[in-house]
Amino acid sequence: GTTKTYQIPIGHLDYKFIEKCTDVKHLEKILRVLRSGEEGCYPDLTLFCEKRIEHLHPASRALRKDKPAATASDFTAEEWETINGELMSWVTEMNEDDYKSQFIETDILHERQDNLPPIRCSSSCLPANQNKSLQSKQRNKKNVPRDYSEWDKFDVEKECSKIDEGCDENNSKARFFTRPSLPVIDKKIDTTGMTKKDKIFIATREKEKGNEAFAIGDYMEAVTYYTRSISVLPTVAAYNNKAQAEIKLQHWHSALQDCEKVLDMEPGNIKALMRRATVHSHLQNYQTAIEDLMKVLYAEPENAIAKKNLLEIEKKLEDIKPVSETKSKGKKILIQDIEDSEGGEERGEDIKEYERSRGEKKKKAQKHLSDHEGEVNGFLNHDQKGESHEAEKISRSHGTGSLSADGGSSLLPPIAAKLKSEGNELFKSGQFGEAVLKYSAAIEYVMGLGEQNPGDISILYSNRAACYLKEGNCSDCIQDCNRALELQPFSLKPLLRRAMAYESMERYRQAYIDYKTVLQIDSSIHAASDSVNRITKTLIDQDGPSWREKLPPIPVVPVSAQLHRWDAGNFTSETKPRSTADANREEQLQMTSEKDEEKFKTLKNEGNDFVKKGKYEEAVNKYSECMKLNTKECTVYTNRALCYLKLYKYEEAKQDCDHVLQIEDSNIKAFYRRALAYKGLQNYQASVDDLNKVLLIDPNVLEAKKELQQITQLLSLESNAVASSQQKQRKKIIIQEVTEFDEQKEGQSATSEDAVSEEVRTSALLKTAEKLSISEPTNAYDFGQILNTVNANKDECACADLLTIIDPPKLPVLLSNKLEGEIFLIFIQSLACYVLGKDPGLVYQHLFYLSKAERFKVVLALLSKNEKEQVQQLFDLLSEKQNHQYSLEDLESLKKVYEL
Amino acid sequence: ILFFKKIEKAKPLKCGTFGATSLQQRYLATGDFGGNLNIWNLEAPEIPVYSVKAHKEIINSIDGVGGLGIGEGAPEIVTGSRDGTVKVWDPRQKDTPVANMEPVQGESRRDCWTVAFGNAYNQEERVVCAGYDNGDIKLFDLKTMSLRWETNIKNGVCSVEFDRKDVNMNKLVATSLEGKFHVFDMRTQHPTKGFASVSEKAHKSTMWQVRHLPQNRDIFMTSGGAGSLHLWKYEYPAQRSKKDSEGAEMGVAGSVSLLQNVTLSTQPISSLDWSPDKKGLCVCGAFDQTVRVLIVTKLNKV
Repeated sequence: GTTKTYQIPIGHLDYKFIEKCTDVKHLEKILRVLRSGEEGCYPDLTLFCEKRIEHLHPASRALRKDKPAATASDFTAEEWETINGELMSWVTEMNEDDYKSQFIETDILHERQDNLPPIRCSSSCLPANQNKSLQSKQRNKKNVPRDYSEWDKFDVEKECSKIDEGCDENNSKARFFTRPSLPVIDKKIDTTGMTKKDKIFIATREKEKGNEAFAIGDYMEAVTYYTRSISVLPTVAAYNNKAQAEIKLQHWHSALQDCEKVLDMEPGNIKALMRRATVHSHLQNYQTAIEDLMKVLYAEPENAIAKKNLLEIEKKLEDIKPVSETKSKGKKILIQDIEDSEGGEERGEDIKEYERSRGEKKKKAQKHLSDHEGEVNGFLNHDQKGESHEAEKISRSHGTGSLSADGGSSLLPPIAAKLKSEGNELFKSGQFGEAVLKYSAAIEYVMGLGEQNPGDISILYSNRAACYLKEGNCSDCIQDCNRALELQPFSLKPLLRRAMAYESMERYRQAYIDYKTVLQIDSSIHAASDSVNRITKTLIDQDGPSWREKLPPIPVVPVSAQLHRWDAGNFTSETKPRSTADANREEQLQMTSEKDEEKFKTLKNEGNDFVKKGKYEEAVNKYSECMKLNTKECTVYTNRALCYLKLYKYEEAKQDCDHVLQIEDSNIKAFYRRALAYKGLQNYQASVDDLNKVLLIDPNVLEAKKELQQITQLLSLESNAVASSQQKQRKKIIIQEVTEFDEQKEGQSATSEDAVSEEVRTSALLKTAEKLSISEPTNAYDFGQILNTVNANKDECACADLLTIIDPPKLPVLLSNKLEGEIFLIFIQSLACYVLGKDPGLVYQHLFYLSKAERFKVVLALLSKNEKEQVQQLFDLLSEKQNHQYSLEDLESLKKVYEL
Repeated sequence: ILFFKKIEKAKPLKCGTFGATSLQQRYLATGDFGGNLNIWNLEAPEIPVYSVKAHKEIINSIDGVGGLGIGEGAPEIVTGSRDGTVKVWDPRQKDTPVANMEPVQGESRRDCWTVAFGNAYNQEERVVCAGYDNGDIKLFDLKTMSLRWETNIKNGVCSVEFDRKDVNMNKLVATSLEGKFHVFDMRTQHPTKGFASVSEKAHKSTMWQVRHLPQNRDIFMTSGGAGSLHLWKYEYPAQRSKKDSEGAEMGVAGSVSLLQNVTLSTQPISSLDWSPDKKGLCVCGAFDQTVRVLIVTKLNKV
């Protein structure tokens, strides 16, 4: 037999059958039969059947059971306590609010009416049924129930089971009239006449709307609602959520700003720190990201996400800089070397001492230059000169560095520039702590602006690093240097400062590497070569003869960076060819990191050191050793010649010079030194000849002229003519020197020294900044500049403004050949988001002329599928907004041009 | 339980809303069996602050927007009546509706059972959705004054509600006479297929009302003829829209899952609402002449 309702064979109401049956629908029918009890009551079998269905299809509707609402007895005492407690506290809260609001009387009520929109144009009548054919079609279909009385005859079960068949059908008869354009949601809410309570309510509501939009991945909408919420009442939560949404949209700079706001309102907010770390890591400021994550881990040591992110970022950092050792390693060295620590500190202080004296020396150097005329023999002052010279050179090379950075597309904004110059002032007056604050503010400001000029930020970091170094805060100094170097690889100052910091932290290996890198860039920096020697000794003591093997590889400085410094160095070297530093530089440029040469270098550096200390004997020995390794290296000979000169061994000096001149017949130093040797040997005529040769090679060598003058005096009458001719020449040179000196000064001021010219620069900056934001571009170059800035910031709004200003037919001219995928995309996006709503005709015009631009076809061919879709969407929206300014045919043909 | 005040009026009331009044004023708008729309100041309930003979027959449904901080633009009230018309009222304008949606002459007049506002995300945009006894759902665009979309769900439409009145139309839930409901994704409208939808059956009887949780638009509760309440959650699909063969955008419906169900009575629960302040607190009225207050816990964890 079968069951009454579903005609199921009675045999199916059985454990074995149910166990094997996999047809959920059939099982559901069985369950219904069993539950109805029409075939008898089998509680166990019913339960078994339920379990089977649950196993096969947990969401089955048949499993839903009616149950009463839970009451206090359904909960444990604690659960009920929490539920009840929450409710009670809410009730008291609401009562308090009510009580309070009684006092705020309702004057405001009427004010609110004013900002309401007008009454909808009245009595507009709208027929509810517009399409007759549709109506008749619907009438053909039997709609149940037709009449109220029919309801009673209605079989719920039957109707319900119909659902399973066709739910899609419903859509088919739907009608379509218009499609909405992109929603325009105000970013601000008018809060006039709102009480505080209202504001809280609305801010919360807007935030919730944002959360909901966020939950479904509509981040643009989420940002809009968060912005609205903030416009009513700025809250930490809204900013935090907005930051998260901005992160999802990859609007890093806005996200950064939001995080900063949160941290202003609530320092140490974990979420904001986490999000800022994410932003920083995407902006490749790994160090800052790590700092933030460390702060998080400090507050919540068990935060798993922070730990994970930290690891990831550290890995990224490692990938970028394979050289740097991990911190733990450095610490280990520290422990090992406790005994040495005193010496180390002393060394550290030495460096600081040096840093401090450098400024003075610079002044001396300037004086030196101006006094140059009167100076008879530069020889005796060699040491001082050498050092001051080198100090200048550092600053100069930085000057050029920063100047070249200034030449980049975006410049330091005025506020940041002001902060920086204030910082510089404080630094000069020795208030390093305050200077740090100023620089930090400047950095934050620049970062917050979203404009990224790596050069400027690098300098700011580098300056801050200097402050930290002075304060003895080595770890922060290193961090800042790292950042500066990330932004501007192989810049001298940060490298040098990092090296010093490493050295004072007794992380000699890193210090060694950094000094070496510095020397690769500019070999004339004495402090670096001194320190290299010093560290070499320490490392040999520490690690034995194989100390080199424990070193991480020394990064190879790209030629571009070298040449850059080289030019700067060369510039100076022409005026002072005698400085040993120059010699070093020449050699070191030719050096590779191979071991023999390394040793050669060390020996030579040691020699140079001895020269500086006035121990010429020892220096000669070192140089002689060098010669054993490499006989072709002229500088060693010229250097040894210098030592011999100092030791009054003129004959030997002459021989060395001769040797050099055999290899290199125009070596200016060799000629010069041979001239001095001849002078010592009282062979004045030969000396004059050599000096003339020097001047022939380079007529600007002051020392040579002075020497010549001196010797000509000694040669008395016969050289009168020569002397007078040189007098003329000299005057000219003096002028040159002066101008050169001015340049130098400017160069220095650009980095950190001179506040006055800083301001000059600032005002110049102001002009450019204004130009960027306001004026209509007149030529392709201006346009390109603005476009670059816009593109770098992904600022669609600004781009839209730009596009509104310019005349569409000019677009191809303005773009010239600069059209790129990115620019194309930002055009499309800004047209879609900002311009379309205001002026569809303009959008069409722009699209039309964009297609006439150079490289358009190439860019189009390279668009990804996703990007093409964006273009397609824009066209779709355009066709909806079609008006008299363009016809649909126009649009269609343009679409073809766009290959859609 | 204490009554604060008991007010009796001549005509029995069918429906009411606070939706078009400010947070401070809290005027109640009601529709009665005689087709009158009244707005009452509950502090002085003797005379209505606004009164109009809105419809010829009973006002079945009422909704308000632009008040309570919900929805941009003017405060407006919409009423739907057995006389087949849907009218939009502005409390600032006496006697005549600001919009009137009725069948053209000669067409049969269907009983309008439910009305709802939506899409009020800026000053201009606003739609009214109306459900009729024959299963018609019509969407009127008040900005363009046109019928934007209509469909038929085969059974009488008892209740319609947008998940949010004050955002760009997101979802619409419509419950029907025979125990099923439809969730329409209102973001993407296809030229011919309209809005994508998913339907689900429950209650085994009329689904009288649907109300979305004010604190989370993807959770909603339905009340049923068998005295039961069902709590649902809508899950969005991975992609909310896709391109059809002709390249037109069409919506993709998500899925609905039942979070909880309870049976409170043997009589239908005809009316239901959530507290805007306390998440999870709700109230329902049933044919057994009982008003029940419930709290739904753990909504944060959904």
